[in-house]
Amino acid sequence: MCISLKECNVVLAGVGGQGILLAAEVLGTAAMKEGLNVRVSEIHGMAQRGGAVVSNVRIGDKVMAPTVLEGQADVLVGFEPLETLRNLRFSSKKTLVIMSDEQIPPTELAAKMKKYPSMEEIMEKIHRFAEKITVVDTRKLAKEAGSALAQNIVLIGVLAASDRIPVKVERFREALQELVPAKYLEMNLKAFNLGLEHGKKQT
Amino acid sequence: MYQNFAIIILSVTAYLNQYNTSFKPKLICETLTVKPFYSLENKILPDSHILLKDKLGEQVLLLGNEAIARGILEAGIGVVTTYPGTPASEIGDSIAEIAKEAGIYMEYSTNEIVATEVAGGAANCGVRALSAMKHVGLNVAADMVMTLAYTGVRGGYVIVTADDPECYSSQNEQDNRYYALLSNLPCLEPSNAQEAKDMTITAIEISEKLEIPVILRTTTRVSHTRSPVKYGKLAKPHTKGEFIRDVKRLIMVPANSRPKHPMLLKKAEIAKEISETSPYNKIAHEGKNKQIGIISSSAAYNYAEEASELLGLDVDILKLGVTHPLPEKMIGKFLKSHEKIIVVEELEPYLEMQIKAIAKDHAPNVEIHGKMTIAHFPRDGELSIRTVAIGLAKITAKKLPIDFTKIDEEFAKIVKELPSRPPILCAGCPHRASFYLIRKVGGEKALYPTDIGCYALGIAPPLNVGDIMICMGASVGMAQGINRATDKDTIAIVGDSTFFHAAIPGLVNAVYNNSKIVVAVLDNLTTAMTGHQPHPGTGKTGMQTPSERILVEKIAEGCGVKYVKVVDPFKTKETETILKEALKHEGPSVIVFRAPCALLAVREKRRKGLELLTCRITEKCTNCMACIKLLGCPAIVIEEGKAQINEALCVGCGLCVSVCPYKAIEYVRLN
Repeated sequence: MCISLKECNVVLAGVGGQGILLAAEVLGTAAMKEGLNVRVSEIHGMAQRGGAVVSNVRIGDKVMAPTVLEGQADVLVGFEPLETLRNLRFSSKKTLVIMSDEQIPPTELAAKMKKYPSMEEIMEKIHRFAEKITVVDTRKLAKEAGSALAQNIVLIGVLAASDRIPVKVERFREALQELVPAKYLEMNLKAFNLGLEHGKKQT
Repeated sequence: MYQNFAIIILSVTAYLNQYNTSFKPKLICETLTVKPFYSLENKILPDSHILLKDKLGEQVLLLGNEAIARGILEAGIGVVTTYPGTPASEIGDSIAEIAKEAGIYMEYSTNEIVATEVAGGAANCGVRALSAMKHVGLNVAADMVMTLAYTGVRGGYVIVTADDPECYSSQNEQDNRYYALLSNLPCLEPSNAQEAKDMTITAIEISEKLEIPVILRTTTRVSHTRSPVKYGKLAKPHTKGEFIRDVKRLIMVPANSRPKHPMLLKKAEIAKEISETSPYNKIAHEGKNKQIGIISSSAAYNYAEEASELLGLDVDILKLGVTHPLPEKMIGKFLKSHEKIIVVEELEPYLEMQIKAIAKDHAPNVEIHGKMTIAHFPRDGELSIRTVAIGLAKITAKKLPIDFTKIDEEFAKIVKELPSRPPILCAGCPHRASFYLIRKVGGEKALYPTDIGCYALGIAPPLNVGDIMICMGASVGMAQGINRATDKDTIAIVGDSTFFHAAIPGLVNAVYNNSKIVVAVLDNLTTAMTGHQPHPGTGKTGMQTPSERILVEKIAEGCGVKYVKVVDPFKTKETETILKEALKHEGPSVIVFRAPCALLAVREKRRKGLELLTCRITEKCTNCMACIKLLGCPAIVIEEGKAQINEALCVGCGLCVSVCPYKAIEYVRLN
């Protein structure tokens, strides 16, 4: 949790089906429970069918618009490496990039018989925009928590551990309690904690 | 071949004499149909019961659409009708989930005009009603709405239109505020979730006061943005009313319509007074600089506020929440007290045009900037803090604090090499099987008018099915014109929900005018694209009660189509034979491709603990890549130069098993 804040902008990007909207809602709800003003933008419909998905969470008294301005993200949470690249325009030198190494190859690659870019290549490109990058093996941590489907919540844990979000860790847990169906709650809380521990080690 | 999905028995008594002119309707296909899976238990996201909390003053983070649903509960609305469509869907979906507990009648109507007819009927009995639809849905409903404005309503009636600037999930980005001008109905425009809730209640009150429907217009960024909403008091909904006969008021024959027009205009005058004093039309920001004034509404207002802050423009901002009729006196006063006016609005210059007309009477010398004379803001696409800041900076000669060009240049280098990731048909989607076969039989020469829904994704390679797509149901009608003009094989593609929505008159036309077209109804037993809502073919209502399933094949028969077949698209050989037969048939034919949406089928299996399958490529694989080249399935990837199946994505539909020329793909049990 950071000390003082005028405005906090988070861009969450990945592929339809990765649970980006739920992750954004957890962050937004946690911020609201902290007593902060918040905007969470989502795009539904066409974007969901395995397409690129972006959600923005903006926190702060004066925040009104739902979308983050280019270069102004405090944190870019990439659920997938290529989708992280696709949203680099929101980041700058001050941005913290939290990225899952979970690769989901776009069908275009298979059709054109092309390879998924190497991690070195991806990291080099991210470094052109941002300085601080945390790569997370979300699949490993989520499986440890009980299901590969909880990778989104692992990332929220890593995010909660960073110094960029003006929200106490406990608020995230409260948000999870409110938003996750009871039978999946324990697993999601575990995923969150594993992400949190991982994040703490990074800072 | 193992069949993953339930069995469809095709009729063996399908013999039909196509030249028999004394055709009598009889059952030509006995269909043991697949059971639809519509169930709230298959929903993934948290439930909507949070909307029922009776805690005055409690703050909850809601989507704009959920906030409208809460507004429905606080306004005591008794009847809610909708046809699903992004970005409006969650209004109806939230209510569907809680309607029984809330004591509301809710329905998914066949289409938007039926939705307004049902709600308009109830509102004419004094019941408060609301219909929700996407912007193009109002085109469908317009015939009803334009004249309902004449008869009016007795119970408050709100029509929610959710516009989609930037065409995030729509075929156009029309600005529905013009419907307010066209119909003379009042229009309210919220800019966030709190206003969306509050304005739903205000709209009902205005509607009841003036006895005319009121339009509540949102955009994608209002409907699909979450922001904190403070709850008001829940009201008890009234679902029962009384119909009072009044021929002069309610029968719109010319003699009765004529006097209704001036009455409507009079109501519009009263609405203007309401607009002048509405708390939603106000100076939202008092600036130090009194030379410049900004006028804005809806999502654009948020950008205007933040862009001014970014540029350090401390100017007055007049925010309009009631945008029809406009508060002429209030705007006139605002124009008079500033030298330069900037109108910030999304899409058409709807406000700007009217503000310029107001200026002529109230402040002829004021400068007005927007998108008309010089386009400082784009008229297409959605706005953003960036586009608004660029426009404001130009008009006010301020310097932009962010070098967007530099960011764009750097970013362009990255994007250039990035593979695109458009939405695609899911792994296991039955439409992929249907398209593969349609393309295989119809080939390059046939033409494929298509329609609105997930199956619009069939246009992507390698499936390449879809040559023209305009609006709901249009595929069937257009196919007839295309076939007449080209004499080419023409296969219209239409989904199940879309078929019920708007394709039936087109089908009747094909039979009546004897058009030689094939209508392929891709029936996945749900309204998939918008979030799996039920439809007349699912046997479930919005109230979650069972109802009679209406089968596409029976409707086709009833319309007089003489070649009607139901196929399981995963039974590739049988389906191919039937497609070939249909193309030879003189006159219209209908093939129903029936298999459930893969997303729902898998969710249902997981929930019930049923057998889950996946496919695996064996050592027989010769690396011919036929599976990849023919199907474009997201579960088939290339790893180390070889085709591989991603088990996490594959649902074992088996289409690749049937297309593999070397029989190198097999089923594997997962659980």
